[in-house]
This record gives sequence, structure tokens and C-alpha cells, in this order.
Amino acid sequence: MLTPQVLLRADMAWKSLLTSSSLPTSLPFASSQPVPLPFPMSHGTTTLAFLFQGGVLAAADTRSSCSGLVACPASQKILPIHSHLVGTTSGTSADCALWKRILSRELRLYQLRHGRRLSTSGAAKLLSHMLHPFKGTELCVAATLCGWDGGELFYVCSDGTRLQGKLFSVGSGSPYAYSILDQGVQWGLTVAEATSIAREAVFRATYRDAYSGNCVDIYHITSKGWTRRSVDRDVWASLLKLLPPRPDSATSSR
Amino acid sequence: MALEDVCGFKEKLFSTLEDTTTSVHDYCNLEWKGQETSEKIPHHFFMPHFSQTNFSISRTPSPFGPRDRSVTVRRPFPLSHGTTTLGFIFQGGVIAAADTRASAGGLVACPAVHKITPIHSHLVVTSSGSGADCMLWERILIREIRLYQLRHRRRLSIRGTAKLLSFMLHPFKGTNVCVALTLCGWDKEDGGPGCAKNSEDTSCKTDDSPSGVISSATHSLSPNCGPQLIYVCSDGARLQGEVFSVGSGSPYAYSVLDGSLSWDLSKKEAISLAREAVFRATHRDAYSGNNVDLFLVTAQGWSQRRREDLKEEYYRDMERKAQKQQSGTTQVMTCKK
Repeated sequence: MLTPQVLLRADMAWKSLLTSSSLPTSLPFASSQPVPLPFPMSHGTTTLAFLFQGGVLAAADTRSSCSGLVACPASQKILPIHSHLVGTTSGTSADCALWKRILSRELRLYQLRHGRRLSTSGAAKLLSHMLHPFKGTELCVAATLCGWDGGELFYVCSDGTRLQGKLFSVGSGSPYAYSILDQGVQWGLTVAEATSIAREAVFRATYRDAYSGNCVDIYHITSKGWTRRSVDRDVWASLLKLLPPRPDSATSSR
Repeated sequence: MALEDVCGFKEKLFSTLEDTTTSVHDYCNLEWKGQETSEKIPHHFFMPHFSQTNFSISRTPSPFGPRDRSVTVRRPFPLSHGTTTLGFIFQGGVIAAADTRASAGGLVACPAVHKITPIHSHLVVTSSGSGADCMLWERILIREIRLYQLRHRRRLSIRGTAKLLSFMLHPFKGTNVCVALTLCGWDKEDGGPGCAKNSEDTSCKTDDSPSGVISSATHSLSPNCGPQLIYVCSDGARLQGEVFSVGSGSPYAYSVLDGSLSWDLSKKEAISLAREAVFRATHRDAYSGNNVDLFLVTAQGWSQRRREDLKEEYYRDMERKAQKQQSGTTQVMTCKK
């Protein structure tokens, strides 16, 4: 049985990082009854992130859905972890918010203890190892860590996946976003071009996917830190011009 | 008839099955042998045999299989629409495009399948779902449309065809039949109320040769004339629309189509948009791939573009991106932080 204590003994390198007191005390195997989920969980969102010459761009919609109900039309799916690291979240909002806070705390402790910041790949590995004891439970976290230390992009998921890449899109709206990103993303984009591609990709996903919608959040991470480049207007109001024009109503009688 | 052998239905098979009191459709004589109902069904549909004990469709076995018991064929793997097909309407007609990969679980069963089938000279249908079911139902639809044309001396409209197909598929709702077809066609209603003006605009060719000439004359979108796009599914859905994409690769295609689709596209732009949409879908979806088929349906009939291997398109796309990157590196030098 893999408890965090077993993991600790196995991996000496993380011994200084993880003490038994810093991990959540209620372990999945210690609890008596799992809380049944009220509805089948799915990653009802669209988040994306990609690398380009100007840094890392992360974008997400702002709709939190609860099996058919829009629980919150202005939720934050891109959560800053520290000044040069941002994580996009997908899956269960509660789990993502908790694990983002745990990750920020662990990274800050590392920084205080060792006098330097943990790299993005180290943060991804840390998150992945912290999530591992909960594999097989109903924890649902799929995060894309976008950091600037050479501009790295990692996808970490609660089922154990940890992938490095140049382009990721997560969530129910991700197929719709992937096509637009595949068409437009390349290394040599300017910041303005990259922002508009990211916005268009999230917009296309919100157009077709019912669980994505409302506004688009865009974060740009460079060597100077992250900046939020989103317009707080609803995606329909600001991007209506991107819709295909209707056929002339005078000639159509459908 | 060859279709009868394909289906494996002979008259004597029905009599050996358990329930003979339920109404049985005699396939050979095409007559309704209902015992409870005395009314006649005007169209002779192919009806399955329902067992009265439980409402589960049991497939009749093939002539080569066991005849004394009805066997339910279990699926070897969970069915999903592992394909990318799309269709959309624009000023020049209807475009239908699809990939050519047939997948069976994780295996590419055939890399060169025809997913777009012409039904008659002005209607093509894209298929998705189970390949066998789609092939069968396309053949049944071809036959029924042809019979209608011979009996009534006019061609059934696209909406009528969709309705016919939907009603033929309805008895199989709840079974494992998995068919999702998009009918892409052009209605030629001569003498209809909305088309009186247009019958001289669109060329009144009576021979139905598949030539690819676009009529540059304007046409109106009245319900029974002009381009039509209708999606019919074995679940019972029957939807008319301007753009449809079906299959596991459809989300990828939808966003490309939504981005650039408009009524005023030229023929070239529409073809390249359809190609691009299928290409993006095959790039990301594992169950779509290999080649892309493209059909264009206009007032003169359908025309087919030569099948194109998407592997070359992928390498061309990579080259284009590499060229852009090289031209972009000069910019990077100047604006690096």
C-alpha cells in the first residue's frame, strides 16, 4: 500500500521536501467512506498553453459547470503559483484550487530552504508525486504548469501523467482548440499574434462546447514574470465579429 | 436479388423462428403479412423480427449459420464513430468531405475506404458509425430511391429521402445498429413554387452526368430547391443544417470550419477549407487518417476530387511552418528581452 511514508523512504532526494506533517492528514485509504460524486466528473472546460519565442502563453475560459448548470461564469482557471509560474486547471475546481495552494506552499518552502526557486520540471514532478497517493480515487486534477526558466510547459494529471511539451490543451473543449492552435501556432509569433490565436482557439471551443464559455483569461509568462492580458468582456460581446456571416436573409427562406 | 443474399433473409427463415404470430414482412413478395392489422403499409419497409418475450432484437442468422436459434451477435469492441466526415453548404453547392480510415478497435482495418457514396446523380451521403451497417443502409437507400423514381416518375427530394431513411432506421432504434449519415444533395424541383424563376437559371440538363461545372447563376434557398444538408442518425435524429461534422474527429473539424465558413466562399476556397478541416482532424484524432475524399454537389450533379494522401499535406504543412519560423528568427533577434 503506497502511503506517503512509503514514498518518502523510497525517494531520498525528496526527504527534505516532504515531511509527514506537510501532507494532508486524511489519506484516501484511512477514510472510512468515500464521498459519492453527485454527477460524473468530466473536464468541462477549455484551457490551453503553448510556447513561443516571446515566452509562454496560457489561456482558459471562465465557466464553471456543474452537470448542466453554470455554477460560476467568472471563475479563474489560471492560477498563479509564484511570480514566474502559472498553472491552468481542469477537472474538479475544488481539487484544483486545493492542490494549487499546496503546490505554492511547497514551492515557497523549497525556495526558503534552498535559496533558489524550483524549476518548472521540478514543480511538475513534485505535484505529480504529491498526487500519486490519490491515484484511483475520485480526485480529478489536470494542470498545465507554465513557467519561465527557459520557458517550459508541463502537463500534470491526477492519474499520473506528466508530460513535457510545446502545446497543450485540456478539457472538453480541447479538440476544438487544438485545430486552431495547430493551424496557427509556431515559434516565431509575436505576442499580439499569439494572444489573438489563443483567444480565437478558446472562442471556437466555447462556440461548440456547452461546458466552456463566458470570458477568456489570458496569461503571458516571460522572464520578467506573468502578466494577465485578458479583456473582462464576455466572449460573445468581444468576438462577435469572428462568427461566420449569415447568408443573406433576403434570399434564404428557411 | 443480391441484397437479399447479403442480408441473408429468405422466406423460410422466418417460419423457423419462434414467434410466428407477430407480423412478418415477407421479403421476397414485398407484402405486409400482418395478422393483427388489416391496413396496408404503402411503403414496403424492411422490418426486423421482434420476439415477444423480451424486447431485444435478435439478429437472424446468415444462411451459412445455425438456423434453429436466433443468435445475438456481440460486438467485439465498443463501437464509436471513429471517423471524420463533414459537409457544408455554400453558394456553389454542397461540399462533402471525409477521411478514409476504417478502424476496428485500435487496428486500422482498412486505410482506403469510401465513406462518401453517391446515391443518385444529385445526392451523396457521408457515412459514419459501423462500416458494415452504413454500407448496407446506403444500398437500401439507393434501392428505395430508385424504386420511388420508377414508380412516381419523379425524384424524391432530399428532405423526403432523409425522412424515408429515418423511418427505415426507426425499428432498429435501441439495437446495435450504428449509422450516422449526412445527406448532401441538390434538389432540382422543376415547376415548384419557389423555383419557377430559377428553372431557367440553373441549366435544365436531363442527363445526370457528374460534371463539375458550377453554375454561376444565383439561386434562392427555398425549402425544396437548391443545396440541402441533412443529418440522419440511427438514434432517430434527423437534422437539417448548413454545416455538419460527424465522428470522433468532428470537434477538430468543427473549429476549423467555424473559423472560415461563409456563404460567399469560392469553390476553391471551400474545397481547401474542407481539406484543411479533415487534415486537422486526422492529425489529432487517432481514428481518422490516411486520405481525404472530397465531393462537390451542384445543380449539375456531383463531382469527385481526386483522393489525396494527407501524409504529404502534413509534410507540406511542416515545411510551411519551418519557412515561417526561419523568416521569423530575424524578428526574434531584434526583440529578444
